[in-house]
Parts: sequence; structure tokens; C-alpha cells
Amino acid sequence: MTSPLWRGKEGGSGGARPRTSSSYKNDATALRTRAIYAAFRLRRRVSELALEAEDVRKTYHGRSGPAVEALRGISMALGKGERVALLGRNGAGKTTFLRIASTLLAPSAGRVEVFGLNVTRNPEQVRPLIAVVPQEGKPFFHLTPREQIYAYLRARGIDREIAKARTEQALTQMDLEEVSDRLCITLSGGQKQRAMVATVIATEAPLLFLDEPTIGMDPFARRRVWESLRRLTRSGSTILLTTHYLDEAEALSQRLYILEEGRVLVAGTAEELKHQVGGTLRVTIADGGRLRDAFASFGTCVREAESLHVITGPERINEIMALAMREKVSATVGPVTLEEAFLRAVGRSIDEE
Amino acid sequence: MAFGLRWAGTGVFCATEIRVQFHEWLAILTGTLVQAVLLIFVWVLARDILPIALIGALVYSVFLIGQRVLNEAAYVRIDHKLNELYHASPMSPEAYFLGMSTGIFLAYLPPILVIAVVTIVVAPFGLLPWGVLIACLLAVWSVSASLGYFISTLFKDMKTIWPYSSLITNLLGIVPPVFYPLHLVPEGWRWLALVLPTSSATALVNGAAGLEVLSGEDVLLAGGSLAVEAIALFIFGIYWARRAAREA
Repeated sequence: MTSPLWRGKEGGSGGARPRTSSSYKNDATALRTRAIYAAFRLRRRVSELALEAEDVRKTYHGRSGPAVEALRGISMALGKGERVALLGRNGAGKTTFLRIASTLLAPSAGRVEVFGLNVTRNPEQVRPLIAVVPQEGKPFFHLTPREQIYAYLRARGIDREIAKARTEQALTQMDLEEVSDRLCITLSGGQKQRAMVATVIATEAPLLFLDEPTIGMDPFARRRVWESLRRLTRSGSTILLTTHYLDEAEALSQRLYILEEGRVLVAGTAEELKHQVGGTLRVTIADGGRLRDAFASFGTCVREAESLHVITGPERINEIMALAMREKVSATVGPVTLEEAFLRAVGRSIDEE
Repeated sequence: MAFGLRWAGTGVFCATEIRVQFHEWLAILTGTLVQAVLLIFVWVLARDILPIALIGALVYSVFLIGQRVLNEAAYVRIDHKLNELYHASPMSPEAYFLGMSTGIFLAYLPPILVIAVVTIVVAPFGLLPWGVLIACLLAVWSVSASLGYFISTLFKDMKTIWPYSSLITNLLGIVPPVFYPLHLVPEGWRWLALVLPTSSATALVNGAAGLEVLSGEDVLLAGGSLAVEAIALFIFGIYWARRAAREA
């Protein structure tokens, strides 16, 4: 059965097609993108930054109740081809910032530029350059993943043949081939999320915004998404993502911004953030919260529920373990992770409400 | 941005919406349930006004498109967040609005065509009344789709939307003289019926078909109101679609 939209591989160019200059010739989005670049090059205003934000503020004024300051002066910059993660607890302002940067929400104050274009003043010029995976977004339930991706690419003005090729490529990358002709309503939560990510990565837009892109996915699927995103940035796209998963932020992003209550608390690479913690090893003492004073001299102590984390160097490990044995508490040693960096910066665990 | 470019993607999104709606074929069928029930009542109780009721059923069916647009636009925005996917893209917000409205209209067209065939059989009209009918149906679609899209953007919860959707459909589709003749409306209230989009459309078609007698002023008031409402609300719909693409 042939649907009003495209249903299969017939007539298409088959599998993945690299972004060659010839494929760009028929690609309306790419042409528009290049036209915008060319216009700005002529005016010598081409930005080397994919995204630049300066003192962005957002206050929500509710009909009842006090105003809520969601963003309190966020500044950041993303170079072309970078993968950057916004890390923060619920309500930290990650999604608000992403929505402002992707032209979906007006800021109360401040400036955001995408490739040198102001998102508030020139949303129509910015939109061809971006693509967004919305938080908790779902595909059309009554389309198949193949139809969903293809229809979206066509709506963006991408040539039919290129849209077909990119659809197949995205389905393969997200491991959705087996379910590509099943209605999205019949897919699992993780598969639906993969269909959303596939829809957006198939655009190959110069700047991608991904709000919690791997939520609900199993570990294998998450790794597939990571690999696809790495591949995209290698081919020149820039990615700004939000995540709750510390391992994802560490494995995927080249730089991180830790947000809390609408502010950037710290920024840097995962390694830089971990160095700021004050040691390379973490000793976790079960039920050690009550022994904080006893362990305080060994390094930075962070209490999490009943446990105590001591951030220290390898030279103090023997002493700490000896003390733990004397106090008859169990202690485990591991490398410092981003979790400690987050705890140190925010003062609370990422999952803490 | 050039005028042509602003509409780019309308056709694709329209096709997407048709595809989505056709999977809900039962909803398309039951969309004519109220009209069918009312037509049965009229056939049993007042068979002489059946042609008027059939024209009313056509107008009401097209007016219901607005309710579908309201529900679909709200569902896609609140439950799926797909509006964000499309708004943060080269496809313009007005192409999104027009694509969705047209797609739903075309998906719901088959049952409307069935009512049209029944109308041809029961009350064969000339070409002029059919021309007036088509023009009026397009105007009603413009009003209802624009109104539906506008209302869909005002709420953050589907449950809040349902009562409004039902209220508007009944207030504008059932209460005014859509399924019954205009002359049954008390004299003092007739102007209101000629101003409302649904009853003005039925009055104009009934007048063109010779089913009701309308004065020149009545035709002017009904035709003028419907034309102004259709154009004004369509322009407002486009304005609102652009505005709603970015939250304040």
C-alpha cells in the first residue's frame, strides 16, 4: 500500500549519502544556509561562534502567584562543531535557555546569537540553521518512523531524493530499521524517543538543540545516539544538549555548563570540573555521615544521604582505610567522577528535588 | 522573506495531517453522527424542511473542522511538543497552521461529500446555489479553522480545552438557525442569525436555492458579515500562528 507520504526505499538512492557538494545543490535548506552565510561574509560579520549568549534572563509572570526568575543572567559561547552539555537539576533553567536559543521563547533580557544572527530580531533567518528535539517530545503516533522523518525533512524544504537517503541513514543510525514501517503508537517509549532524535539528526542542521535526547532509552540505544551525535559534529554540526545523565554529559560533551537556579555555576571540560573537586580519588564511606569530623582532615567531605564522600589523593588512602577499619564502617575507593564535581558545585545531587 | 517562501512546506504538512487523520477513520465517520441524528429528527418531525436541514448539515460539518483543528493543534502542542519541532525549522508558522487546517479539511471531506450527494438526490439545485454553497463552506472553514487554532494556543491542558470546544460548536452550530429556517427566529433576533458565520452561510445558500426568502438587506448583512469574518479571522489566524510560534 502506498501512503500519501513516502513509505519505502523504492526509487530512492538507497542507503546513507555523505554530504557532498553535489547533494547540496538540490538541498533547499543548505542553499538557504549558504545564502545566509554568503550575505554575512559580504558584510564581514561572519561569526566564528555557532552560539553566543550574553546575560540572558527570563522571568515568568504568572496570572497568580509571584513572578519566577527562570534565568538570571546566562552567558555562554559555543564554537562551530562543538558538543556542549547543559547539566542541572530539574528547574535549573536548562530547557528555558534551550527554548530561547532555538527561537521558541522570548527572553526577558540579554542577547542570543546563532551564527551571528540575533534570535530575537531574526528568528526567520535563524530557523533554517537549527533543529530541536523538544523535551518529552513524541513523534506523530499515526505515522511510521520512516514517514515521520521523511515528512519532516520535506517540510524543511529538503529535496525528495536527499530526504529519502537521509531518512534511511537516520533509521540505520538509530537502529530503527526493523520498526521503520510500524506506526509510532506501537513502539516502546525508547523507540519513540529514538524516532524523535532520528528526525532531528537527519536534518544535518548546522546547530542542533537536544533537550534530554536519550531519556527513556536503554544503554545500547544511548550509545548509538552518542555515536551519531559525535559523527554529526565531525561533519561540522554544533550540538547543545541538556541532560540529567552525568555519564552522558561526560562521555558526549566536549564542554559542560552546570546550571543551578538560572545561573551558570561552573563551566569547562569534564576533566577541568573534576580537577576543581580537589583530588583524584573518591572514598565513599557507607553510613559515614556521622563521622564527617573524623574524616575532614583527609580532604573535601561531601555528605550524600547517610554516606560520606571524601575527595582525596592516593597518598592518603592508607590512612583513610585504617580509620574506616577502626570505626568499623565499609569504605570503597574509586576515581573522582562528574558526580562529585556536580555535588561540589551545586551542593546537592543532580537527582535531589 | 518572500511571500512564496512563507508558505513553503504547507503541502507536505497538509499531506502529513491527512495521513495522521486517516488512521482515525472512526472519528471521521462519527464526525457526521450529530448531523445524521438531526437529519433523522427533521425527516420524522418536519420533512418539509429537510432540504434546509441538509444544507445546515453541510455547513455544520465544515464548521466542525474548526473543532478538529482545535483538538489536533492542542494535542500536537501539549502532548507531543511537535509544534516546537516544526516552529524551530525553516517551515513558517503560517504554513504549519494552513497545512494542518487544510489537511484536516481534506481528511474530513469524504463524509461531507456523502451529505452533498444526499442533498443532490433530495433537493436538486441549480449551479448558482451550489456555487454559493461552496463559497460559503470555504468561508465557514476559514472562520472555524482560525478560531480553532487560536483557542488551541490559549491553554496548557487538554482537559481545559474540551468544554470550550464543545461550547463553541453548540453555540455557533446548533443553537442558531443552521438546521432550521431563519423565519422561525423571532424578528428582533434575526440580525444576529445573519451575522453569525454558520447561520449566515445557511441563510445565503437557502436564499440562493429558493428555500427561503431573503430581503436585499438580509443578503447584504449575511454576505458582508461572512466575508469580513472569513477574511479577518484568516488574517488573524496567520498573525496568531506567527505570534504563537514564540512564547512571550
